[in-house]
Amino acid sequence: MSKIVLENKLDLDFTTLEKEMSFELSENKEAWLYITNLNNDNIVNFELASNAILHLSIFAKEPIKNLKLMANLKENSQIIVYFADFAKESNTGEVSINLNGIGATADWHLASLASDKDNKNISVSVYHNVPQTFAKVDNYGVVKDDSKLVFAGTSHILKGSIKSKTHQNAKIMVFDSNSDAIAKPILKIDENDIEASHAAAVGKISDEHLFYLTSRGLNMEDAKMLITLGYLKPIFNGFDEDKVEYINETMGGRL
Amino acid sequence: MAILKIKNLHVAVDGKEILKGVNVEISEGETVALLGPNGHGKSTLLNVIMGHPRYQITEGSIYLDDVDITNYSTDERAKAGLFLALQTPPEVPGVINSDFLRAAVNSRRENHLSTYKFYKLLDSAIKEVKMPFDLATRSLNEGFSGGEKKRNEILQLILLEPKIAMLDEIDSGLDVDAMQIVADVIRKEKEKGRGFLVISHYARLFDLIQPTRAIVMINGRIVLDGGIDLIKRIDQHGYEFIKTELGINIEKEEPNMNSVSIGSCAVREVTKK
Repeated sequence: MSKIVLENKLDLDFTTLEKEMSFELSENKEAWLYITNLNNDNIVNFELASNAILHLSIFAKEPIKNLKLMANLKENSQIIVYFADFAKESNTGEVSINLNGIGATADWHLASLASDKDNKNISVSVYHNVPQTFAKVDNYGVVKDDSKLVFAGTSHILKGSIKSKTHQNAKIMVFDSNSDAIAKPILKIDENDIEASHAAAVGKISDEHLFYLTSRGLNMEDAKMLITLGYLKPIFNGFDEDKVEYINETMGGRL
Repeated sequence: MAILKIKNLHVAVDGKEILKGVNVEISEGETVALLGPNGHGKSTLLNVIMGHPRYQITEGSIYLDDVDITNYSTDERAKAGLFLALQTPPEVPGVINSDFLRAAVNSRRENHLSTYKFYKLLDSAIKEVKMPFDLATRSLNEGFSGGEKKRNEILQLILLEPKIAMLDEIDSGLDVDAMQIVADVIRKEKEKGRGFLVISHYARLFDLIQPTRAIVMINGRIVLDGGIDLIKRIDQHGYEFIKTELGINIEKEEPNMNSVSIGSCAVREVTKK
């Protein structure tokens, strides 16, 4: 496994890297990492020292199988992740974030699009291993054609992790009758003095929203496109302007 | 001159007949007040004219400029010149208001407006409805107050320039100042020759926009079509005279909700199946 010590800002194309990579961020450092072209069987590990802040933006365009992302956070460190998953074909990803130091925080955002015959299964789990750790997981998805999209994952507050807060939100918009979507955010709570919530929603585009947009002259396809883009576009907040245009084109092409 | 003609319109929802033979005509330049008790089909009529898929037309036709648009899709009706300001405009998360407005404006143009020209148009319309510009950059109606939603509807009316505009309780949720602004816009649009079909329960709006005639819908039919003195009479005395003078029994609105206890501390309203 190769190791990279992160400094400031780094753009990485994974096609040029080994399958297994480890990234480290030293104490009191803040860094921005943009990753693209993840590939099959990538295992990526992040180690954040005390008070480190990592802004991680991932754009998946090519097929990914068996992706494993792991992060270990020490006290008062933060990881802020924006994952734009517009990869084609089958796709499985497993994310584990370990909050190992008091004050460690994870802020996770995923936008995933499944179309054609995609079969995507993305699991995001957060482990609150010590007191006063904080996590927010937002997974948004769109599923169309004959594809399937599953959002899974567990937010686990372990015994002794008092004053921790964890929130999970999984929403999938279903386009077609042959599409299949499952959202199952799970909470495992072994402590009392904590705050936790989870929400899941799977459904088609609101008929009232479509009526409203079409009543202004947009045809059905354009109305659906506008609503869908609106659903996925908040992920762009995690990317630089020069990347957004490219990601937007890819997303538009897949819709 | 554009004319909207509704001929013997029968409409059902989930097998229940709501409109039972509606006949009405509205010409460009006319402002028609649509009155009637709650639950007698006024909003249904407006939604059906706009092509809401929830309603099934079982008999009758809708014509615009002598073209039968009964089977037109909703967007085709909009492009043909119809507009409906909704009673409760929905909140559409993620869809930026200005993106939506631009798509709507361009949907009826062969040559799309440039960004500059669109924002100039938008800026002018926003000033007319005295709406903060930042509402154009937020998600469509999301977090808007009731009054802001209604102003956003009127903003769309200005931008889309329909032949016939239908306003469903545009005055609900408006304070006195906002009502004046909305009325000013309607008056200006009337002068441009637009036709209006306006639902309201309050004479105040009609005083401000001065309709040319009033129609009254009872039991899914238009039972009166006359001058604007009808508005004053109904505002002062209600609908009882319809029963005494015309011999029409006003059906009571059927409650479609059923109270169900879900515990000792809460009661939830659920739709009756």
